[in-house]
Amino acid sequence: MTNQLVPPRLTATQDLEALLDAAVDAIIVIDHSSHILTFNHAAERLFGYAQEQVLGQDISMLMPAPYKAAHAGYVDAYLNTGHARIIGIGREISARRRDGSVFPAALSVGKIGDANPPRFVGFIHDISARKAAEESLRQSESLLRNAQSIAQLGNYEYVYPDGVISWSDEMYHLLGLPKASGPLHIKELGQRFVHADDTAHFDRICTHAYTTFDRFDFEFRIHRYDGAVRYIHSQGTVHPHPAGAHVTGTLHDITDRKLAEDELRIGQERLTHVARLSTMGEMAAGLAHEINQPLTAIATYAQAAVRLMDSPDGADPVDLRDALLQIVAQSLRAGEVIRRLRGFVKTRAANSERLEINRLIEDIRILAGSDARVNDIRLILDLDPRAPGVAGDPIQLQQVLLNLIRNAIDATCECPGALRELTVTTRPLGDGVEVAVIDHAGGIPESVAQHLFNPFFTTKETGTGLGLAISRSIITAHRGKLGYRPTPGGGTSFFFTLPQLVGV
Amino acid sequence: MKDTPSTIFVVDDDDAVRTSLRLLLKSVGLPVETFSSAQEFLDAFDAERAGCLVLDIRMPGMSGLELQQKLNEMHAIIPIVFITGHGDVPMAVEAMQHGAIDFIQKPFRDQELIDRINQARETDQKNREGLGERDAIIKRMGHLTPREREVLNLVTKGKANKVIAFDLSVSQRTVEIHRARVMEKMGASSLAHLVRMVLEAERAI
Repeated sequence: MTNQLVPPRLTATQDLEALLDAAVDAIIVIDHSSHILTFNHAAERLFGYAQEQVLGQDISMLMPAPYKAAHAGYVDAYLNTGHARIIGIGREISARRRDGSVFPAALSVGKIGDANPPRFVGFIHDISARKAAEESLRQSESLLRNAQSIAQLGNYEYVYPDGVISWSDEMYHLLGLPKASGPLHIKELGQRFVHADDTAHFDRICTHAYTTFDRFDFEFRIHRYDGAVRYIHSQGTVHPHPAGAHVTGTLHDITDRKLAEDELRIGQERLTHVARLSTMGEMAAGLAHEINQPLTAIATYAQAAVRLMDSPDGADPVDLRDALLQIVAQSLRAGEVIRRLRGFVKTRAANSERLEINRLIEDIRILAGSDARVNDIRLILDLDPRAPGVAGDPIQLQQVLLNLIRNAIDATCECPGALRELTVTTRPLGDGVEVAVIDHAGGIPESVAQHLFNPFFTTKETGTGLGLAISRSIITAHRGKLGYRPTPGGGTSFFFTLPQLVGV
Repeated sequence: MKDTPSTIFVVDDDDAVRTSLRLLLKSVGLPVETFSSAQEFLDAFDAERAGCLVLDIRMPGMSGLELQQKLNEMHAIIPIVFITGHGDVPMAVEAMQHGAIDFIQKPFRDQELIDRINQARETDQKNREGLGERDAIIKRMGHLTPREREVLNLVTKGKANKVIAFDLSVSQRTVEIHRARVMEKMGASSLAHLVRMVLEAERAI
């Protein structure tokens, strides 16, 4: 039994040949003077030579120029010193095909037994595909790095609470951190970099995201490593993880955009303020009248009271008391006009709050009504109690209303014989409310209509031409629409819509 | 003036201004009636009642100026003291051109208003005394030249100076001179007063 299992010598040679032929890698054996002794099928395929063409030839024929010369030196050096530069280590080399083309290859070399003179076996594996993939990866990483640098957007991946999985280079740049410091744990990021005023916000959103596995998308400020304050937009997704939460996200430095937005917002607020002052200027006659009336009553009551007291019969205390109470009431009336006026003309930042549109309109009845009255026009409010709540800036919306009323007053005054009446209406729409200011001033001529919303276009002698343009931009900022339509009987209805306040 | 009971009619749409005026005039012992609109006053108007009108120039609906025009059309002779706000001077001037006694700006000193009112009451009394003396009117009309009579007739028919000049084939300036002479000879304080005198005289004939 045992004898039959011992392979004969001939069989061993056959096995070796089969092994050589089946091998996927090129296998080449050379002698101590670099002559090729063995060249397997894979080698033939790889280099494009037939076995007969290379046997006995110098191995350097398979190498491109710079390696060619060096090779003989390596072999000699090994033979003289016994110092292996490659044997048992393997390295990446460049190899040359028969057609002259060069390709990257992995080479591992072994010395064959105790053969004397020594022989060496080399295994050569084409690594072009791997190299190409590596190069492509390197390129796309470089592209990504460039893109992130240009966009000022860094990405990261970490497991909460364990630690960071990956951090892009731009993350360091964003925070002003030296790359050598290594990625920061999210807790450290929060503690060291997030602006003191934003930490509560930051912590709340992170905690919520990590516990509910919700997407997150929010903004906060950081103190960069160099102390500069930057605005960061953070977006990401969270997935459950055995350790807690797996978080993937981006940080985006939006400081430049923020500053530009701020500039724009401040510019718009100034312009809006100027337009408001201008509207007030146009309403000055009405406002003066509205303050002059109570002043007249106060002066007259007081003078009457003095005369009553001076009269020989003595004053009736009931009359005196009534006069004094009226003086108080009229003082408050004048004060109220001034209070509303001050609220309206002061410089302020826009803000959004919950509003009842009907109340907002009631609140400007004094300002608008006095303007109408001095122009001998009746102001009628026709407010639908079903008008829904809206969100917006009360002063800006009142500004739009006053501007529309002011325009309607001017139009009525310039239209002889027009019905001297203005109506302000509210009515609920499907998903909001429409507010309209309706006049009977004969409609808008075509030549005027086409420029109506252009800034600096005006038909008034002293107009700025900003009223309607700014009114429209205010309403657009409130996600509404401002427009006009002719009304039956020769008038115009200027209207604006506002979306209903959601979640109420 | 002391003998004739005369009333101050106050027309102002502002409740506070109106009631304060009522108290002020009451405090100096003047009989007052107040109205919140020109129309309300017109509805209650009686040409025979003596007195004067204290009238707000700006009011919704019928303005003070429109009421003055209506009263002139009715040949009412009630004197008017206008009360005006700031910036109403052009309107006040127009009111004066149409025969108002004076105008006074809000807010006003009580004495100033009372003086104007007294002035208006005197005018009213004089007008009424003048009206009462039909014989005197007719006598004064007798002093007019034939050309002045012609001018009087045309003026009281409401014709403008320009039209009268054309009708009589004289210059407008000549008409103005005749007209002034007529007013002077007749002792008329206003066109309305003149018309009233002519009506009175015709009634007597």
